[in-house]
Amino acid sequence: MWNSLASRLWRAAYLRAVSSAFATVPLYRETWALHGRTDPVLVPDRTGSNGGALAADTVQRRLVDTAPLAGGSTEPDPARGLAGLLTHATQRRSHRLVVVVDAAVTRPPTGLPSGSRGCVLHPDAATPLDDGPVLREIVDTLRRGERVLAVGEDKNLDALSAALRSAEPPTELPPPDRVPHHRIDSLTGGPFGLLHDPLLGYLGVLRDCGRWHVDCRHVYVRETTGGLAFTVLDRTSPRLVDVLVGGGVPGEVQACPRHGSPVIET
Amino acid sequence: MNVDIVDPRLDPEPPGWADFAGALRLHPVWRYPLLRLEAWTARNPPVLAVVRQDGRVVGGLQVMICRSWRTSRFGPPPRRLGRWRPRWAEVYLPLHSGYPAAVFRSGVDLRAAIREFERALADRIGPGLLGVLYRAMTADLADAMSGPGRARREIDPAAVLRPPATVDEWWAGLDDEVRSTIDAVEADPRVCTDIGAGRRDLDATELAALLNAHRARQDARAWAGGQRSRFAGLHMDTRSPVSPAYLDALLRRPNVLTRTYRTPSGRLLGFATMIDERHPAAFHHWAAVSRADGGRPGLHRHAYAQAVTRAIERGVSELTAGRAMLDEKAALGFRGTRALHTVAAPRPLLSGGPVLADRLQRTGTPAGDATGHHRKRMGSTT
Repeated sequence: MWNSLASRLWRAAYLRAVSSAFATVPLYRETWALHGRTDPVLVPDRTGSNGGALAADTVQRRLVDTAPLAGGSTEPDPARGLAGLLTHATQRRSHRLVVVVDAAVTRPPTGLPSGSRGCVLHPDAATPLDDGPVLREIVDTLRRGERVLAVGEDKNLDALSAALRSAEPPTELPPPDRVPHHRIDSLTGGPFGLLHDPLLGYLGVLRDCGRWHVDCRHVYVRETTGGLAFTVLDRTSPRLVDVLVGGGVPGEVQACPRHGSPVIET
Repeated sequence: MNVDIVDPRLDPEPPGWADFAGALRLHPVWRYPLLRLEAWTARNPPVLAVVRQDGRVVGGLQVMICRSWRTSRFGPPPRRLGRWRPRWAEVYLPLHSGYPAAVFRSGVDLRAAIREFERALADRIGPGLLGVLYRAMTADLADAMSGPGRARREIDPAAVLRPPATVDEWWAGLDDEVRSTIDAVEADPRVCTDIGAGRRDLDATELAALLNAHRARQDARAWAGGQRSRFAGLHMDTRSPVSPAYLDALLRRPNVLTRTYRTPSGRLLGFATMIDERHPAAFHHWAAVSRADGGRPGLHRHAYAQAVTRAIERGVSELTAGRAMLDEKAALGFRGTRALHTVAAPRPLLSGGPVLADRLQRTGTPAGDATGHHRKRMGSTT
């Protein structure tokens, strides 16, 4: 239930992330100290533009400044957050193999349930002619009668399905489950879907109520004049706070009338 | 004489400061807008002490208020500074370390100015002030800061070149190996270089990342080599990474020349900045990609050679080149040095401090008087 306490805890986690980023991360120190921000205002009389949120392009260009002074990685994880959303993204509880088909995702998702393995498949390798190890592993898993979940853009998932249909030797393979992921500027109605950004990772999920739910355990979202700004709450480095994904898409943050948790409407 | 201490992060530029900096042709690190950028993005942010006599600015000191050598947090907002929290002050230019962080008009009574500064600083910081470290001071300034009980030592000097009359004369004084390296860079088709003053066409983020990586590499090498600033086995570094905002503002200044080195495909290999003043000029920042990451050898020699050529053509009185790698700089003609000193003044010995300073003053400071301790603090006029 998205009650007042949960909302306050969510907000408190965000404020901690902002405070910590201002105190330790060069990009946010520079931006908010010199230009300002809102909600909260950190330097009196400096409110900046877009409430202090930064375009994803800017953050991507300045990734080196998103590591805290103490040091840390500057490499984003485009598969971040996938594992935690899978239970809401599909009707099955678990899959033997989770395949992410996306050119931006270069490392397998982590944190999957025990018994599940993750892998990535470059869309160019999802062709009938390709005989790469990932495709072979998918075919072998399906032949054993175990479940495979494919995640990626619709066109990439279609290409994977086509590649599996023409797999050698020809056998009748059960199709893998599929969950398409979408950028924030191209959200669709489902029935399944994940909200993805190549810089921040997986940010939300389309649930059975038909609304896009924010992954509120790991992600905060706020409305700014530049659009919806997302913050990854639990990643230390690179620190991603108030990022306008998709170039800044206007939207609203509300509470889901059925589930009570925060949803976005664009 | 009185001293005002301002925090560049929030306080407006002190009246008369811009005129003072312009009259003394101070290098860009003294310009208030740059100081503000540096302060906001520093772990140990500097404040500016403005020394006035009869209302006229006659001197200034940049003072880093330090909380720790190894903190991984930027300086807290001014309102949060607790007066009892232990801190110390370093009078130091972390981004221009071959120059002292204290400047005065000629004819100013330096001892009196330093006394007033210490009183004002002690009043500003409060009981938590542990002492003042005057770093990289020239001999005349160090003399004014020295006194009984104050530790003083000579540190690595700054490399200085007093340019000869012609470029040919300087060129003839170089070793063949140095000349051939410079010629090789000049003729290398894989290296493209350009230069300009007040540049707005550069990506400061790219340059700052390279500069910070270069500094980190140099620091690691100096540390491995047992650098002289090591004390009791501690790695005492109060500096901060250079922020893109600061570098961008620096490069846009009309008296800052920036030279970049790139591959034909546009990859940045290195860059140098030069403060293009006549009295003196300074080879300011240098950064390059390491050899392991695909950097080209000898770029630094080419950059220094170009700076020397520029200095000779402009007829500058002196070109300085920082405090590191003196042998390498000597090979490029920087055979002179300027001695620099560090003076440490613990809190009990500060003017305006407790009893000990007063006693020591009375028992024999060379030019001191015994009135300091009883004088009204902050804003007092002598």
